[in-house]
Amino acid sequence: MARITIDPITRIEGHLRIDAVVDGGEVQKAWASCSMWRGIETILRGRDPREAWIFTQRFCGVCTTVHAIASVRAIEDALRMEIPVNAQYIRNLILIAHGLHDHIVHFYHLSALDFVDVTTIPKADAAKAASIAQSLSDWPNNSKQEMERVQKKVLGLVQSGQLGIFTNGYWGHPAMKLPPEVNLLAVAHYLQALEYQRVSNQVVAILGGKTPHIQNLAVGGVMNAINLDSLATLNMDRIYMMKDRLDEVVPFVQDVYFPDACAIAAFYADWFDIGSGVKNYLAVPDLPTDTASTQFDIPGGTIFDGDLAGVRRISGSRDDYFRKGVVEDVTHGWYQGRGAQHPWQGETIPDYTDFQDDGKYSWVKAPRFEGKPMQVGPLASVLVSYAQGHELTKKWTDLALQRVSAIAQKPITIDKMHSTMGRYLARAIRACVLSELAMRHWALLADNVAKGDTTTFNEPHFPKDAVEGVGIHEAPRGTLSHWVVVQDGKLANYQAVVPTTWNASPRDEQGVPGPYEASLLKNPIADPEKPLEILRTVHSFDPCLACACHTLDVEGKTIATVKVL
Amino acid sequence: MTCFEVPTRIAVIGIGNVLLGDDGVGPYVVELLRAGWELPHDVTLIDVGTPGLDLASHLLGREVVILVDAVGATGEPGEVRVYHGEELQRLPVLPRVSPHDPAVQEALWIAELADSAPQVVLVGIIPESTEPGVELSAVVREGAIKACSVVIDELTRRGVAVRPRIDSPEPDAWWQRSAARC
Repeated sequence: MARITIDPITRIEGHLRIDAVVDGGEVQKAWASCSMWRGIETILRGRDPREAWIFTQRFCGVCTTVHAIASVRAIEDALRMEIPVNAQYIRNLILIAHGLHDHIVHFYHLSALDFVDVTTIPKADAAKAASIAQSLSDWPNNSKQEMERVQKKVLGLVQSGQLGIFTNGYWGHPAMKLPPEVNLLAVAHYLQALEYQRVSNQVVAILGGKTPHIQNLAVGGVMNAINLDSLATLNMDRIYMMKDRLDEVVPFVQDVYFPDACAIAAFYADWFDIGSGVKNYLAVPDLPTDTASTQFDIPGGTIFDGDLAGVRRISGSRDDYFRKGVVEDVTHGWYQGRGAQHPWQGETIPDYTDFQDDGKYSWVKAPRFEGKPMQVGPLASVLVSYAQGHELTKKWTDLALQRVSAIAQKPITIDKMHSTMGRYLARAIRACVLSELAMRHWALLADNVAKGDTTTFNEPHFPKDAVEGVGIHEAPRGTLSHWVVVQDGKLANYQAVVPTTWNASPRDEQGVPGPYEASLLKNPIADPEKPLEILRTVHSFDPCLACACHTLDVEGKTIATVKVL
Repeated sequence: MTCFEVPTRIAVIGIGNVLLGDDGVGPYVVELLRAGWELPHDVTLIDVGTPGLDLASHLLGREVVILVDAVGATGEPGEVRVYHGEELQRLPVLPRVSPHDPAVQEALWIAELADSAPQVVLVGIIPESTEPGVELSAVVREGAIKACSVVIDELTRRGVAVRPRIDSPEPDAWWQRSAARC
């Protein structure tokens, strides 16, 4: 028996730490801990609610826009405001473009190398790699010349002994299974993806003024002045500039990312039987299309115990099922107190102990929905949409399962989505759904503006009495909610329940583990010194904890430590 | 700057979280430079926040990038450390648990892989406290002023014509405004 601690912490502001007890080649027990105090919200108390989004988009450096939009939505919800449809479309386009960027980066640059062994590429037959790629899609950049170019580049790195960006992989690990040709085509697309994720972000910049911190939001709408005759504002030139970018990104998502994700899922089909963990799912509706935010292009809801037939809809931020259902438990978090509180009453008073297996062991609170831990993220969104018969989601999910089954030569059905590989595949499915909705929302905006509607902002009015609001967003990592109490034009309380808090949640008062912890159970471990399999499952959730603090460590050390018990 | 335009030849990029005390020193230095100096059009100042791997997008296509960031190094808070090419190559790289851990080294490698790596200088300031808060500690505020001169020297050394502003405004460190004043 051994205890593995994966902990890249070298200083007090920490990152995600995973502890796992391994016996008989499998994880028997796991803990997820974040060692950074998440009390940033306290900075917002007493501030002007109209400015909150400027601060909240600094919560996290990767998910800037999502925290900005959740914040203005929270204040608008508290004020029972409606916002112009142009503002909805513009925000939606920003969210979609950000989501596409984020999913592309997650697949290729943040997690593909858990499955792709770069060091086998010199052995690959470039012609064969090209023909495999061409059998998967008719993407034009799959030529033999392209594969040779990439192979030469990787060969250069391998021969120089300076692997650069590929330094840190578990190369030659027994859990790496792709043929050299598939590794080659994956790295070719890794390089191409660098360009497309950037192009997707340009859409955010065209609308938001700049990235990573957009400047065009306002409580009540957006600050984009629309004037078809002015160069300085959002005019048809700009609107078509955005279309040009989407016309590049959408085919990349559908003809490269999607087939690649299906192929990798098929080659690693055993990972459809690993990592199910918590089979309760939560997703909120998003991409509102009316001024009151009651109609959405992506549905929300809950599923418990993997029972898709029992899906329950969440109709919007005003739905009491959601509004009243969320609590945060601090029993195992380094905060004062025990038990659970609703976010509007939430406090964030630190109480650091040490890492105690059975006591407090994380700075993450444990969010619960109707008392249950919930998995959030693309898989939750896809399953909740699929279960409600959402057409686009059904189309891409069925296509994905069909493709994976064909390549794997065994049936992979919807129930296999409750797994580590299901989470990777769901992200690709969601990207395809978003890619179609990108075109739809672009057309909605262009048509509405062409009709002469240039309204983008309604003025907010703040009452003396305290009002409560929640802003929801189905972010790339899952359900995000900002909970606010506004009194006399000032913020009296602010709590952000972020997707990673749901997934990286520690145990609750009843000792029930969170999604990371539960999904690691029974994960195979071939070599405790190289816990690649743990990283695969953890990365499948696309964790985002650490980005809140950047201080660069120039003398760092550490990594996985293994202690024989 | 808007990132859909052609990247300028040179960029000074402040990295850090402005809500975490001294971690915000990078963005603060960017605002000091903006307020205090006139820079030619081929130099862009960017407060990039804490971008993780997204930093790579801000490196691609440039000749020179000066990064300003809080660094966890042995030394006194407020001290300024400058790292050039070779020293940067030796920055430690940790296996990524969370895919969004700080990723300066990885971003540089990605730029190299894309055959588009700029010459990079890292101007680091040792923080005193990175607890949640919008203020810099006094020593790091001093350090920021020193870091500013280091950046100006690095630009001048590369033949960039910089001029101090005569009536320079206060730096626009908006995040440091107290709740009462905003």
